[in-house]
Amino acid sequence: MIRIAAVGDVHLGEDARGRLRPALEHLPDHADLLLLAGDLTKHGTLAEARVVAEEFAGLPVPVVAVLGNHDHHADVPEQIAALLTDHGIHVLEGESTVLRLDGAAVGVAGVKGFGGGFAGKCGSAFGEPEMKSFVRHTEKVAARLADALHAIDVPVRVALTHYSPVTDTLRGEPLEIYPFLGSYLLAEAIDDAGAALAVHGHAHFGTEHGTTPGGVRVRNVAQPVIRCAYKVYNLHGPDERGDQSASATGGQASPHSTSRA
Amino acid sequence: MSSRTPQYAAARLTQALAEDPRTAELGVRVQLRGDHVYLVGEVASEERRQHLTEVVRELEPELTVHNEVGVVECREPSTAEELD
Repeated sequence: MIRIAAVGDVHLGEDARGRLRPALEHLPDHADLLLLAGDLTKHGTLAEARVVAEEFAGLPVPVVAVLGNHDHHADVPEQIAALLTDHGIHVLEGESTVLRLDGAAVGVAGVKGFGGGFAGKCGSAFGEPEMKSFVRHTEKVAARLADALHAIDVPVRVALTHYSPVTDTLRGEPLEIYPFLGSYLLAEAIDDAGAALAVHGHAHFGTEHGTTPGGVRVRNVAQPVIRCAYKVYNLHGPDERGDQSASATGGQASPHSTSRA
Repeated sequence: MSSRTPQYAAARLTQALAEDPRTAELGVRVQLRGDHVYLVGEVASEERRQHLTEVVRELEPELTVHNEVGVVECREPSTAEELD
């Protein structure tokens, strides 16, 4: 069993410093790794990223993150990723990392993702350059997610995005803004490679539970949705199905990042 | 350009809450009913909650602001979901 903690949209900054840390104190009692589903900052500044880094640095479990749209607002996403990486956080953008935790292994593939809409109700790469650019960006990041998932060489794969791959977890959001909340291309990538779980954030008014068309469980962990510091998903791998007594707490992470240009 | 049509005022406020650096909140709903504006959603701190009222009052000083936005909870989860 692999115990996965996840939260997104924490939107930290100077005025919210230390907000999550008390709840993270007992994290190893609940989970073997922590996923951060983007929008870690409010304005995407390096000052806010420092608050994020300090909040999640030095935890006894591995921390794997993707950035969100807020983390891009100040146009320094690469510097934010580098800063978080310096603090021991695995930041994924079209990459995967394999974590080996006391014999149980899990691979996490991550991309920010993007909007575009959902099957039959989405934008097309047609017409003005701005429209083509918008849609092609989503196509590109979805392809990178598929590549990153395929690169994982252990049976348990998890997809981590900021934008949503499905509409299920957007219930509660206005229908009109669905195209800005996610894309079915992310779900297609997840279904193509296969995954045990897909985690995303971004949709503050959405709902937690969903499923891709291919049957992969999707969880929206935006903090206003989950209403706690993080949610925990106990993932029973194919070799451990039904074994709920196993514990991977205290395992060592062995990340193997695979860059995807 | 200013418009008294409520739909445009609500749209303007929504945009302002997203784009004003004090708020930068895309997850707050703005509902206009007569001279009253209702703000709904959750933000990360009490200070950010107060900034919402501030930005709305600056833009639409004649409206009565009802700030129903909450500060998101940060407690430890009490349960885990089993996925097999």
